[in-house]
Amino acid sequence: MTLFHFGNCFALAYFPYFITYKCSGLSEYNAFWRCVQAGATYLFVQLCKMLFLATFFPTWEGGAGVYDFVGEFMKATVDLADLLGIHLVMSRNAGKGEYKIMVAAMGWATAELVMSRCIPLWVGARGIEFDWKYIQMSFDSNISLVHYIAMAAVVWMFTRYDLPKSFRLPVTVLLGLCVYKAFLMELFVHVFMLGSWTALLLKAVLTGGISLCSLFLFISLVHSN
Amino acid sequence: MFEEASEVFDNMFKSSFPLTFIVFLPAVLILVSPLPAEAAHEFTVYRMQQYDLQGQPYGTRNAILNTEARTVEAEVLSRRCVMMRLLDFSYERYQKALRQSAGAVVIILPHNMSTMPQDIVQQFMEMEPELLATETIVPVYFALEDDELLSIYEQTLMSSSSQGSASAAEVLLHTATANGFQMVTSGAQSKAMSDWAITSLEGRLAGVGGEDLPTIVLVAHYDSFGVAPWLSYGADSNGSGVSVLLELARLFSRLYTYKRTHAGYNLLFFVSGGGKFNYQGTKRWLEENLDHTESSLLQDNVAFVLCLDTLGNGNSLHLHVSKPPKEGSPQHALLTELEMVISSQYPEVKFSMVHKKINLADDTLAWEHERFGIRRLPAFTLSHLESHRSTLRSSIMDMRPHVDLKKLSRNTKIIAEALARVIYNLTEKGTPGDLQIFTEQMQVQKEHLSSVVDWLTSQPRAAQLVDKDSSVVNTLEYHLGRYLKDVKKHTVKADKRDPEFVFYDQLKQTMNAYKVKPAIFDLLLAFCIAAYLGMMYLAVQHFGVLYGVMRRVIQPKTKQH
Repeated sequence: MTLFHFGNCFALAYFPYFITYKCSGLSEYNAFWRCVQAGATYLFVQLCKMLFLATFFPTWEGGAGVYDFVGEFMKATVDLADLLGIHLVMSRNAGKGEYKIMVAAMGWATAELVMSRCIPLWVGARGIEFDWKYIQMSFDSNISLVHYIAMAAVVWMFTRYDLPKSFRLPVTVLLGLCVYKAFLMELFVHVFMLGSWTALLLKAVLTGGISLCSLFLFISLVHSN
Repeated sequence: MFEEASEVFDNMFKSSFPLTFIVFLPAVLILVSPLPAEAAHEFTVYRMQQYDLQGQPYGTRNAILNTEARTVEAEVLSRRCVMMRLLDFSYERYQKALRQSAGAVVIILPHNMSTMPQDIVQQFMEMEPELLATETIVPVYFALEDDELLSIYEQTLMSSSSQGSASAAEVLLHTATANGFQMVTSGAQSKAMSDWAITSLEGRLAGVGGEDLPTIVLVAHYDSFGVAPWLSYGADSNGSGVSVLLELARLFSRLYTYKRTHAGYNLLFFVSGGGKFNYQGTKRWLEENLDHTESSLLQDNVAFVLCLDTLGNGNSLHLHVSKPPKEGSPQHALLTELEMVISSQYPEVKFSMVHKKINLADDTLAWEHERFGIRRLPAFTLSHLESHRSTLRSSIMDMRPHVDLKKLSRNTKIIAEALARVIYNLTEKGTPGDLQIFTEQMQVQKEHLSSVVDWLTSQPRAAQLVDKDSSVVNTLEYHLGRYLKDVKKHTVKADKRDPEFVFYDQLKQTMNAYKVKPAIFDLLLAFCIAAYLGMMYLAVQHFGVLYGVMRRVIQPKTKQH
C-alpha cells in the first residue's frame, strides 16, 4: 500500500525482537557478535537443508488440492537439522544455560526474520494492493520468536548429561512437537479448512502451549538441583 | 550496540567474500525492486473513441488512469474513477461526474447485450453520438461485466453510498472492513498514429459490345463505428452492405461469364474504408480517378453510382438522393425498376425515395452518395433507414442479432433483380414485372450471405483497427478476387501538415483493480500496533513475575522428590 503501511508491518515484525534483546539482558553480555554467528549458522543449515531437499525429494506432481501427507511429513523430518544447528550454536558458546538459549534463539530467529520476511514485506506491503497477509506475516514472526526460544530451551535440556530419567520422555515429546509443529499446522489448516486468521490464532495457542510446557520443565530442571 | 555492529560489518567485509555477497545481494534487490503488480482483478477495458476530423477533436483525450473507484452515488467525485453500469447509466449522471471533475469514467457493459431491456439499449444508442460530440478531457473506458468486476462494483457502490451518513464509529469500522479499489491502467498515454492508412478495395466486371460502355458503380463501406472502436462490430451498418455487395459480385460475375448474358455495362465494385469518417476512402478514390489518372471508368459515361448502406433489417427500403433523377436517365430507370420489382414481387416492402440536398456547411456528409454527388456523378444510396441521423449507423449495440438474414437476402434479391432489369433493359423489351431472374441455380445464397455477415461481425472493424495488412482487408480482397477482375487496393494517408483525420492509439488496455485502504486506516493500524508493542514490552519486562509464579507452583512438587 504505502510506505507507512510497510513501516507498520516492519515495526510489528521487528520491535519485539529488539525489545527481547534489550530486556533479556543479552546486550549486557556483549552478545551481539554471538547472535550474528548463530544467524550465520542458520544460513548454513538452511542451505544444507535446501540441498538435501532438492536432491532427495522430487517435486510433488499430484493433482491440485490433494495433500501429499507422506511427502510433507518427510520434508518436516528434514527440519531435524534445525535442532542440530541450534545445538551446534549452543555448544560453541560457554556460559549459563539461559544465556546460551537466548543467544541461540535470538540469532536463529532474527536470521530467519531477515532472510524470509524482509523482502516479502518490502515488496508486498509497499505495493498498491492492500492485503492483511503482511500484518499476519508480522504477527507470525512474533510467534516464531517465542517458538525458537522454546525450541532452544528444549534442545538445551535434551543435551544435558544430568537430565533426570523422568524428564527424558516429556523433553523428547516436546522436541518432536517443535520440529513437526509446522507440519501439524499445515495439516490442521488443510483438514479443517481454517481461514488465515484462525490458523494464526491456532499457531499462537500451540506455540504458547509448547513454550509453557518447556518453561515448566526448564524451571523444574534448573531449580531441582 | 551500534559500535559492535560496525565492527562486525568491518570484520565481515575483510574476511569473507560470500558473506559480503549475502548481505549485498538483498540490499541490491531491495533498491531495484519495482512496485509489484499483484492485482486483485485484471480486466480488459476498451477506450472511447479519440480522433480528429478536419481539425476538430472528438472523444476522450486521455488514456492514463490511476485513481480510486467510486460510483455516482458518492458525494465527492473529484479525481475519482466513476464506475457506472449500463443499467443505471444516463447522460445526466455522466455529465454530473464530469462536472465534478471526475478523474475517469468506466462504464460496465453486460456481457450479453441481448439480455438488456430494449429501452435501455435504445437510450444508450441515442447517447453514443452525444458522448462523442464534444471532447472529453478525462479517459472514458468501457468494460465487459464479469463476476469479479461486478463484485468490485458492488463493494464500491456500498462504500460510496454509505459515505457521510454514518457515525464516526461506523466509519472507523467501515474503513477496517471494507475495501476501496484503485483502478490503474497499464498502458501509456494515447498518441496520434501518424501514417495510418485507410484501405479501400475496387474490382470490376467489364461489359461487352463496343468502346464507351456505360458503367454502374456499386459501393459499400466496410468499416464500423461505435463509441468504443474495439466494441464496434457494425453488423447492420455496414456489414450488411458489404455482404450484399459481395453477393451481387458473385451473381453478376456468373452472368458475365456466359456470352449470352454478358451485358453492355461495366460493373465497378468498390468496398470503401473510412466510411464513418466522412467517407475518406471514397473521397481519395474519386480524386485519384478523376483528377490524377488519364483514363478511368469513372471519367466517362457513368450510368449511376449505387451505394449500399444498412440493408440487413426492416420492411422498408429508401432510396436516398440528393437530386431527384430526371426521367429518361439510367438513374430514373433503376428507380422505376426498383419500384416495379418491389410492387410485383415483394408487396410487403415499403419503398420510397428520400430527397435531401447536400449540405456543404455540415461537418460530415450524410450518405456516401453525396461524395459522388459533389463530383457531379449521378449517385444514390439504398438503405432501410429513413434518415442518415439514425443512431443505428454508429452504435456499439449494432451486433449480429441486428441483421435479419431473411430480410437481408430479400433486399439482396430486390437489388439484384432491379439491376439486372436495368442492365438487360428488360422493361423496354416488354418483360413482365414478376419475372424472376435470380432463381434456382442463380438464386441469392442465404448461406453465403450469412457466412459473410458472421465473419464480418466476428471482429471489430473500426477504421482505427483495420490496417492495410489486416485480415479483414486481405479476406475481402480474396473474396473480390474470386469474382472480379483487376482487384486493387487503395490506401489513404492523411496529409502531414493539415490532416483531415487523425486517429489515436491505446484503444484497448488492461486495467487493474487493486484493493486499497484509506490513509486513516494506516493511522488506526499504527495506533493498534503501538499498543500491542507496549503490551509486549511490559510482558517481556515482567517476565520474571511469570517465572516466579511458575517456580512457586513447581517448587512444592520438586521438594517431594
